Amino acid sequence: MKLTGRYAGLLLLVLSILVAASSLALAQIGPDIPREETLIVDILTGRNPNPRRFNAWAPGTTLDAGIQQLMLDTLWCVEYAQGEILNVVAAAPPMYNDDYTQMTVKLREGLYWSDGVAFTADDLVFTVETLKANPGMNYQAEFDMFVKEVYKTDDYTVVFELKEPNSRFHTYFLNRWGACRIMPKHIWENVDNPMAFDFYPPVSLGQYVLKDVDPGGYWFLWEKREDWERTAVGQLYGEPKPRYVLFHFYGPPERKVIAQSRHELDMCDLTMESLQASWENPGFRTYRKEYPWIVNIDPCITGITFNALVEPFDNKDVRWALALAMDIVDVMALSFDGAGVMGALLVPPTPVYLDWYYEPMEEWLREFTLDIEVDGAPFKPYDPGAAKRLADYAAGRGYDVPDDPAKQREIFGYGWWKYAPEVAAQLLERNGFSRDKDGGWLLPDGTPWKITITSHPNPAHPAYKNSFAIAQQWRRFGIEVEVVTTEQYNTLATYGQFEVSSVWPAYEPWGGHPDMYRTLRMWDSDLHRPVGEVTYGHQGRWSHPDLDVIIDKLEKIGFDDPELIPLAIEGLKITTAEMPSIATFGYPGFVGWDETYWTNYPGAENPYQQPYQHWPNFKFMLPFLEPAGNK
Amino acid sequence: MPFLKRYLLPRIVQYLVVIFIGGTLVFIIPRLMPVDPVQQTLQRITIQGAFLDPRAIEQIRETLLELYGLKGSLMEQYFALWHRLLRGDFGPSYVQFPTPVMTLIKISLPWTVGLLVTTTVLSWTVGNILGGIAAYYSHRRWAQLMENVAMVIRPIPYYIIALALLLLLAYAVPIFPVTGGFSIGRSFVLSWGLVLDILKHAFLPALSLAIVGTATWFMTMRLLVSNLLAEDYIVYAQIAGVQDGEILYNYAIRNAMLPQVTGLTLSLGQIFGGALITETVFSYPGLGTLLYSSINSGDYNLMMGITLLSVVAIATGVLIMDLIYPFLDPRIRYE
Amino acid sequence: MFKVLTSLLRQDKRFLFGFIVMVILLAGGALAGFSPHDPRLWSVVPRDLPPSSKYWLGTNSMGQDVFWQALWAIRNSLVMAVIAVVSSRIIAVAAGLLAGYRGGLIDRVLMTVTDSFVILPLLPILILITSIFKSRLSVTSLGILLGIFGWAWDARVIRSQVLSLREREFTYTAILSGMSTGRIIFREYMPFIFPLITATAMNNMLWAIGMEVTLAVLGLVSLEVPTLGTMIHWAVNSQAMLLGIWWWILTPVVLCVFIFLALYLLSLSINQFLDPRVRVQRLQEIKG
Repeated sequence: MKLTGRYAGLLLLVLSILVAASSLALAQIGPDIPREETLIVDILTGRNPNPRRFNAWAPGTTLDAGIQQLMLDTLWCVEYAQGEILNVVAAAPPMYNDDYTQMTVKLREGLYWSDGVAFTADDLVFTVETLKANPGMNYQAEFDMFVKEVYKTDDYTVVFELKEPNSRFHTYFLNRWGACRIMPKHIWENVDNPMAFDFYPPVSLGQYVLKDVDPGGYWFLWEKREDWERTAVGQLYGEPKPRYVLFHFYGPPERKVIAQSRHELDMCDLTMESLQASWENPGFRTYRKEYPWIVNIDPCITGITFNALVEPFDNKDVRWALALAMDIVDVMALSFDGAGVMGALLVPPTPVYLDWYYEPMEEWLREFTLDIEVDGAPFKPYDPGAAKRLADYAAGRGYDVPDDPAKQREIFGYGWWKYAPEVAAQLLERNGFSRDKDGGWLLPDGTPWKITITSHPNPAHPAYKNSFAIAQQWRRFGIEVEVVTTEQYNTLATYGQFEVSSVWPAYEPWGGHPDMYRTLRMWDSDLHRPVGEVTYGHQGRWSHPDLDVIIDKLEKIGFDDPELIPLAIEGLKITTAEMPSIATFGYPGFVGWDETYWTNYPGAENPYQQPYQHWPNFKFMLPFLEPAGNK
Repeated sequence: MPFLKRYLLPRIVQYLVVIFIGGTLVFIIPRLMPVDPVQQTLQRITIQGAFLDPRAIEQIRETLLELYGLKGSLMEQYFALWHRLLRGDFGPSYVQFPTPVMTLIKISLPWTVGLLVTTTVLSWTVGNILGGIAAYYSHRRWAQLMENVAMVIRPIPYYIIALALLLLLAYAVPIFPVTGGFSIGRSFVLSWGLVLDILKHAFLPALSLAIVGTATWFMTMRLLVSNLLAEDYIVYAQIAGVQDGEILYNYAIRNAMLPQVTGLTLSLGQIFGGALITETVFSYPGLGTLLYSSINSGDYNLMMGITLLSVVAIATGVLIMDLIYPFLDPRIRYE
Repeated sequence: MFKVLTSLLRQDKRFLFGFIVMVILLAGGALAGFSPHDPRLWSVVPRDLPPSSKYWLGTNSMGQDVFWQALWAIRNSLVMAVIAVVSSRIIAVAAGLLAGYRGGLIDRVLMTVTDSFVILPLLPILILITSIFKSRLSVTSLGILLGIFGWAWDARVIRSQVLSLREREFTYTAILSGMSTGRIIFREYMPFIFPLITATAMNNMLWAIGMEVTLAVLGLVSLEVPTLGTMIHWAVNSQAMLLGIWWWILTPVVLCVFIFLALYLLSLSINQFLDPRVRVQRLQEIKG
């Protein structure tokens, strides 16, 4: 009997050695796929539970495992590293008539689907008509609302007749992490139920075609088309270098560090901590080769949203007091060890937006006053020295930081609000707030003030760390704060069931175009709903009559009108003075690249392209990568 | 037959009632969540779509409510659910609309069952054998060593064990793959190579589960057997000179098996909920992550499908156990 | 009582070890109240320092003293687990005894309820329930929640033990000699059931602590309240393992092990002490 146990143990041991021995060949990818010809990138949105579904026109299909990067193209695409709009499948920018009721699109010639059928205006017309006729499919509601008629005038020209004037109708086809993609008519015209159709195996309009999928939904392997030049990217930039592109979901950041240490992952998003853990990985590099390492061109801004329909956040003084009770340097130190670009406006502080908005508004910001007096003079909340303070913090942590103030502004941003808890206290006290004997803040009715911050549950998301860092500020100021991380943050925000949330403080602008309509429109008062109802505007439920006027004006001018920027500046002045949300810093992208097999990534020293693998623009990067020569 | 009438029939009725209650609970609880499935879908569209006109969103909302079958009152939805379930239809997934929930489950189920059945049975067998032996020879040094090892491993949170194994065997000494079910680019055709490949990929997740499982079964079995060893009949047997092996096997382990077999049936039933932490740590395909993402996205039908599968599996396990109980323990009588 | 304790401490090394560890853990938990720092505040000490004479267990990446965080974690996790265990034991023992001894309709109804809880997949249900509340569950309410969902299987185990005891000779003897139900249960059955209660209580305590860790790993508990789970959450997500901040991740793991060891050894000794077959012998020793 004694022996049985030993045998079992022995058996287990032998079995494990056997299995281990069979796996000495390390590579994660199979023998038929040469590693040096393969680019392996991470999937942002996780495991795909339905890996053989490529219907990009039904809601819910995973798009960032190759569909939007390699397979389907849109008419135009936002390029935010350079601040421009690229004509992808379209041959030229959209042409509107004078009252914006008709849009004409010129298409590129010589494009072919991966099954050899030519791409023509019929595909676009078919796509719009199919989507319009099938409720539940993406863009059905929009096309139903705006498209009176769509027809081609020749094989490469399509005309949209609109039901009502719309100066921004073309943005439904403008790719900014997604837009209406074009379907191959010759496949879809035979489909009875477009919603249920899986589109597998998919037909591609891009330079790559699907080769293999993981039945478990973790990876997708794409292969370069032999006729890669008969695509939009081929015409624009030429041949892509990798023969294979593998999209692979690795999971939480530590898995990516491990994968990169084994050279099984070339491009991924990390977190501050996992980036620090990656330095020992040979070939590892970050966007910026020196501190603060991060991507500074990501067109999103992080921060805090107040629910303007919930007391006491309906009071502008309270919102300002909470902003002044925050030390931006400490917030950024706690959340990302100072790595970030601070932004006081509700606009992402990327280089192009710094030029478009921060630069022209800086004079105004410096002179801007709150209607409260400190030492007998109106209080000026703007602190142009905040960037320097952050630089000093970073230097104190032992990081290499340039001394030149201009360089510091470029790295850390232009400035932020002063850390002025005493002014914050004044603002609160004049609204009836008081302190108890321990310094804790009491609401005007005398009860202790407790703030709940609703936040993102994923530790890799900037909102997560940011909300804890901000909670620290307010706690130190004497307010009781609880951070609730929940997957339901978005639903709660849309229904207005929150006080303070770390969802995006403002809607993201286009990224590569100065138009701020996309952002400001969300504060339009006619989109507002009471708490408990779904809002279609910004979740903060704040609006202002003066801003409504500006939104109306913006709506009536075109995408390239010279009035765009001056009007948006007027709008931003209102959102600054009213402080509906507190902007903190630009989205810090912690990209990690492995240069063992591929080089010439679009890093800070040569930002020819946006740097992410999950953006549709990824395809424009592939012709510029260089094999490193390692086998 | 009195057994049939007095025991079996009521027991089967109870089985059905329990499933009905379980099904009702898993219908109600998700609907108390603040999550709104349509909103979650809209969020995905907003992330993916360049620009949605707010008025259009209102219209999409209505369409989706209609398509998802969420327009009626809660009672109507509830009856529609049982109506559908009785025909064996779990309905469409919301996130992957209109892909049937069944299709999604079928994609993930084989991975979960393969991994968890193997590790559960393996760790149960090894744990029980070692536990029984360790209890019987409790004064030997090796038995005490085994017990000490199990005592230390048992309380370590599973997440930490899994993560430590991954760091140790895929990072520090990289002999096992980081993630996935099998090698990339390998054609998924049944062959010896594929089986080995799948085993290789399943090894780390299986090892982590087996370590924790074995330690748990070991501890329980050791306790059970050492309690039994003090029973009169075993003492008599020892005095009567019955051989060690025979006492251990025929008297101690067999009697201690009863609760262990019950535990095994329960564990096997619980497999159908998936192993969320294992799947997350090792990026292994399975029902656990599918269920978790369905909870987060408010995909009621998918959530229902997986939890009901689990409910029925556990209930069936418990039922089978109850029915064979009298054959295992003659001391139990059914009145 | 005191006599029993001293004799156990003197005679049983396992009890001695378990007792000392438990006393240290409890004292630690009680000491947490004297922490010089608010456990929710960051940047109160320098970051990422290894253990030293000043910071006994080092400091973490948020600038907190791991030692004081650990004391808070012991306190909160133990309170949570004890609430879960006590509440679930009460339900489990009551339901198990009643169903097993009374049988009939009561048994059927109770077992239907029990089975309805047994078959629920617990992790998803707990994830669902923790998501229902807009603010986070406190340590107490999490304990109660785990108690509500942690009793069913053990009630079944206790019931089947009672079923088996009821068929034994001594039960018939006891009934025939006119013993009351209460006396039969407490005098005759308890020695058999008590080891079951302690064993299931131990498993349940581990389950509760483990479940809290799982929920914390998923970010579903109040992350700024230090518990063993939230310590692990922060340490893992700050890559303590990869960055070599071992004192941060190891502390909660070692604490888990010690909590278990103390409970396990104590329960072993107590069961042995209560075992009717050795009790007489032992009582004689104490008297002598």
